[in-house]
Amino acid sequence: MSNGSSTQKQGNSPAIEVVGLAKRYGDFEAVRGLDFEVKPGEVVGFLGPNGAGKTTTMRMLTGFIPATDGEARIAGHDIFSDATNARRAIGYLPETPPLYPEMTPTSYVDFVARLKGVPRRSRKEAVERALGRCGLLDVRGREIRQLSKGYRQRVGLAQAIVHEPKVLVLDEPTVGLDPIQIREIRLLIQDLAATGGQTVLLSTHILAEVDAICQRVILLDRGRKVLDQSLTELTGGGVSLEEVFTRVMTRDEATEPGAEGEAA
Amino acid sequence: MTHTLTIASRELRSLFVSPVAYVVLTLWSVIAGTFFLASLIGFQERLIQLQQYQMFQQIELMNLNDELIEPFIGSMWVILLFLLPAVTMGLVSSEKANGTDELLLTSPISIWDIVLGKFLAGAGFVTVMTAIVAFFPAILFVYGEPELGKTISGVLCLLFVSITYVAVGIFASSVTRSQLIAFVFTLVLLVMLGMMLPFIIDISMAGSGLGRESGIAQTVRWMSTGSHVDRMLKGLVDTADLAYFVISSAVFLLLSKTVIESARWR
Ligand SMILES: Nc1ncnc2c1ncn2[C@@H]1O[C@H](COP(=O)(O)OP(=O)(O)OP(=O)(O)O)[C@@H](O)[C@H]1O
Ligand SMILES: [Mg+2]
Repeated sequence: MSNGSSTQKQGNSPAIEVVGLAKRYGDFEAVRGLDFEVKPGEVVGFLGPNGAGKTTTMRMLTGFIPATDGEARIAGHDIFSDATNARRAIGYLPETPPLYPEMTPTSYVDFVARLKGVPRRSRKEAVERALGRCGLLDVRGREIRQLSKGYRQRVGLAQAIVHEPKVLVLDEPTVGLDPIQIREIRLLIQDLAATGGQTVLLSTHILAEVDAICQRVILLDRGRKVLDQSLTELTGGGVSLEEVFTRVMTRDEATEPGAEGEAA
Repeated sequence: MTHTLTIASRELRSLFVSPVAYVVLTLWSVIAGTFFLASLIGFQERLIQLQQYQMFQQIELMNLNDELIEPFIGSMWVILLFLLPAVTMGLVSSEKANGTDELLLTSPISIWDIVLGKFLAGAGFVTVMTAIVAFFPAILFVYGEPELGKTISGVLCLLFVSITYVAVGIFASSVTRSQLIAFVFTLVLLVMLGMMLPFIIDISMAGSGLGRESGIAQTVRWMSTGSHVDRMLKGLVDTADLAYFVISSAVFLLLSKTVIESARWR
């Protein structure tokens, strides 16, 4: 990839650009010195054991919590100095879908569309499209509190895509879904990337999911990046993802004791 | 501005479908009706008494505003101190409990949009509450001749006080994710602000040897809602009293904004 000026908004600038990002909670370093890039249209799997710092990283990227150190740009917009534009470019499904139980999917997604600044003229259409893509047309008039967990998850996803953001940040989007719904959501994500050209960063614990939809994998462990490779490279030699991860994680554990400083 | 309205209209719709709102509005209406009826009966009895003793001069002096409307609205203000916390307790705390704060704070809107949207919604709700109260004095205009100016001043007083208390409630609601804690905190703040401040200052001034009219004493007394309410209920609308409502609302909204903002930094 050519090394163009990364502060430019258009052109070849990465969809997500993270440099030295860190988050400390008191004395505890949840994320340390994280660097990575995601190209436009790429689907990247964000992996790591519980407590690795995936959610924390996503919360920093989306502007929910401020980073302790480092910088990040979304579609060329700095998340600190150009926060509004960075936020406009992001669709975010948090770990717990941020739903108002007393609303209907239609009124809720419409509310989010307004928040994200979807123009009045195209709003109704945008809401319809998001509901349709997430398979919510049948339940659109029901109260969200009456919906099953899987459907609530879909409402969360509809909310994330309603303003057609350039970058989708999805924190465990398929958790709690049945196998058929998981398949549908995967197809939806693939479709978003393929036809909409949207960039997707998704966290998951399901390796098969990564296999199915991701082009690249970023593996976190205890707040540090321990692996960043394309899927074809990783599994090229006929090795399964599971084997690769087990190897990386155990190797990491072996080197960890004593190594307090940041990894290069 | 549009985002403020977006937040406000969503909040208002949610408020009006919440069971809490129905309980509050029902209680409020029932209490208002009862108080009004009681004051009306009291007014009549006094009139009959005075007639029995042939005290016509006193009868001349009796008027609906001073003897009925003013005490009625005054007592509704006291009820407000205890009911309003239930209206505002969830305004911010429930966003945190629901995880919807993560949606709001990652959207391209400002924290002022959130705070002012909540404030507008709360103000809308207490406008309905005030309208319910205003309905009763309005009946009197059919049968008697209360002073219009004084009556309006009384109703406006209740509205301004309620709106100011909404700002207090938003602040209390923004420091916690628990609606119960928000309720109790709001109640404490309102009772302090509404009634306790003058007593506290009198007691502590007596102890400190400073005069009751010292600068601090006067400032603290100014901070109390009570004196402003008393004056406005009597129909004495003063810019100083209006300024009180504006300033205290602004202070509590600013505090709420600061709390919401700093909660992310922890
Ligand atoms: N508000 C907080 N205060 C203190 N520590 C926190 C806070 N939030 C997260 N942490 C800690 O930061 C670390 C990273 O948490 P994070 O939620 O990012 O992990 P994760 O990779 O998303 O894990 P999971 O797979 O379980 O979702 C954890 O050890 C967690 O305990
Ligand atoms: Mg997580």
